[in-house]
Formats: sequence, C-alpha cells, structure tokens
Amino acid sequence: MLGLGYRRDMADWDMSAVAADFFEVVPENWVRRDRAPLHQLIAGGRPVHLHGVSLNLGGTSALNRAFLNEIRDLIDDLGAHHYSDHLAASGDAHQLYDLFPIPFTVDEVRRVGDRIREVQDTLGRRIAVENSTWYTNIGTMSEADFLAAIAEHADCHILLDLNNISVNQKNHGTDGLDEFIARLDLARVTYLHVAGHEFDERFGLHIDTHSQAVEPPTAAMARRLQARHGLPILLEWDNDLPDLPTLNQELACLRPPSTTTSGA
Amino acid sequence: MPAPAFYDYVRGLTDEVPEGYTLAGMRVYRHLVYLGASQMVEAHFPQVRQQLGDEHWRTLIEAFVRDSAWTSHYYSDLKDEFTAFLARLNQ
Repeated sequence: MLGLGYRRDMADWDMSAVAADFFEVVPENWVRRDRAPLHQLIAGGRPVHLHGVSLNLGGTSALNRAFLNEIRDLIDDLGAHHYSDHLAASGDAHQLYDLFPIPFTVDEVRRVGDRIREVQDTLGRRIAVENSTWYTNIGTMSEADFLAAIAEHADCHILLDLNNISVNQKNHGTDGLDEFIARLDLARVTYLHVAGHEFDERFGLHIDTHSQAVEPPTAAMARRLQARHGLPILLEWDNDLPDLPTLNQELACLRPPSTTTSGA
Repeated sequence: MPAPAFYDYVRGLTDEVPEGYTLAGMRVYRHLVYLGASQMVEAHFPQVRQQLGDEHWRTLIEAFVRDSAWTSHYYSDLKDEFTAFLARLNQ
C-alpha cells in the first residue's frame, strides 16, 4: 500500500494517473473548503487519511472542543479511518503555526499522554501521533522511549515518520532507524511517512522541508517494514512539487519488489 | 512543556537562549515562525509588502510575531490577526 500527500497544486492533475492507493490531507485545510476533489478520490476507491498540524498536543492551551467537533464532522464526512497529529506543540497557550519540541521527560509523558486521551475521548476514536523533527530540545529520555511511553500512556496509535528519525539523527546524533524502531511496539503503528529534507547552511542543520526525493536508506527501511509488517507507506512532498511522472517514479521506488505491478 | 522563555525567544521577545537549548535550533524556530507569518500575510496583502520594501516589511512582521497571541487552529486566519494588529498600531 502506497500513499501520497494530496496538495491543492494537484487540483488540475489527472489523479487517476497517480500510482497511489490512498491519500493524505491536512484536515485544517479542508474544514472550510469544498471537498469535492477528496470525495472524487474516495469514490474511486482510494481513501483519504487526515494528518493534522494544529492540535497542540504539547502546548498548554485547553483543548478546543469546537475545533474537535469540526474535525469529527470532517472525519465522518470523508469516512476517514485515520486521524493523526504531531507529537509536538503548535505553540504555548497560543498557536504559532509551526511544530515545537516537547521535552523528553516522564512528566511530559503523563501530561501530554493525558491530553491525547482527552482528544480520543472527545472524538470517540483512537488517534495516531507522529514523531516529529526537532531542532533543539531538552529532557532525560531518548525520543524513541518518549514516543513509546506516550503511546502506552495514552493507548494511542503511532504514525511513524522515518524521514524525521533520519533528520534528527543527522542533526543530533540520536538513534538511527534501526535503533529507534527497535524501541517501539510496531502493532501501534498505523502507517509510515517518508519524505526528503535539505541541509540549511544558515543554521548548520538539516531541515525537514519535504522538498526532495527520499533517501535510499529511508526508502529501503520503509520497503522492509511494509514487506514484514504490512505497514502502508505515505510519501510527503509539500514544497517544490515535481511533475506527475517524477512523483510516480518516486512512488515506484517505495514499492516492495514482490508487489510491483506491471504498468503501474 | 518547554519553559515560557522558549517561546519568548521564538517570538523575538528575548535573545537569551533558554537553558538547555541550542542557539542554532532556537534560530531555526524563530525563522520558521517568521516565515510562516510573512508568507500568509504576503499572500493576502501583497501590496503592503511591495509598498514597504524588504527591510520595513521584516520589521513589521517581526513586530506582528512579537505581539502574537493567536488562537485559531486555522493558519489562514492570520490575515484577520494581521488586520487587527495594524488597527492596534494605528491607535
């Protein structure tokens, strides 16, 4: 199973030519927008997953019931089976429209885990949290242990982003793919994210830009996890979107050899 | 949660790097928030950017971010926050 992040730039594309089995959108972008393009994809047998950016699980603002109701309506309208957001803060008590690190501590496992539970109780379903890119952080636990502990505490799913693990490893020398994944209960993982990133010399850090091809080791790990555990793979490409043939080629690189279909 | 000083740095209210964090990482976060605000405001008010020029634009957006207490889950609502910010400036 291979998925692709659906962008508004694709509005005039022939989506039937995209070699993806499912799609993903940012729910915040579609609550107030005409969902006809999404319903078209769904009617064609390709589900649309929701991957949010503003839940502010790591922040301090009270959870916004009105917003969660809007998300629930969207989930129902699309018949979506997956709703996730980032294991990150979207700000403090306010929104800053980016993703900020949650300190990797036992106290935060409890506090943020409780917030995830509250979201799940309100929505009446389990959500997934995604391991995020972070550019500096504090704490006493490794990120993988923090993620695993949160998922246990909240009894939630994990959206496992392989690219983010690699970006963090390059920037901070933290766990690589093998070490990180070994700490997790893969039964909690709903699907995988892969993407590309870039080095920014202004900061001396690799930045999670979603503007490049997926690195070969990341693609190889995704194929392996799909072959062994049946985990779907979703390609995120948000900036400098290439043309359709290039995207299809990139998707083909992610397909495990055994499942390659002719003409796809 | 990160200490308030973390977000004070991100908003540009202080240049003091919060304890335990790196300068490079904090600069990335400040940069990303600036970029997010700048892009959304420019998308809705391109003429303001044109009239101001790069330097004054940067100063204005930095002030907008410093002053921020945004609550909407919808990024595009930043245009309304910006209008309200300008109204406060003109008071």
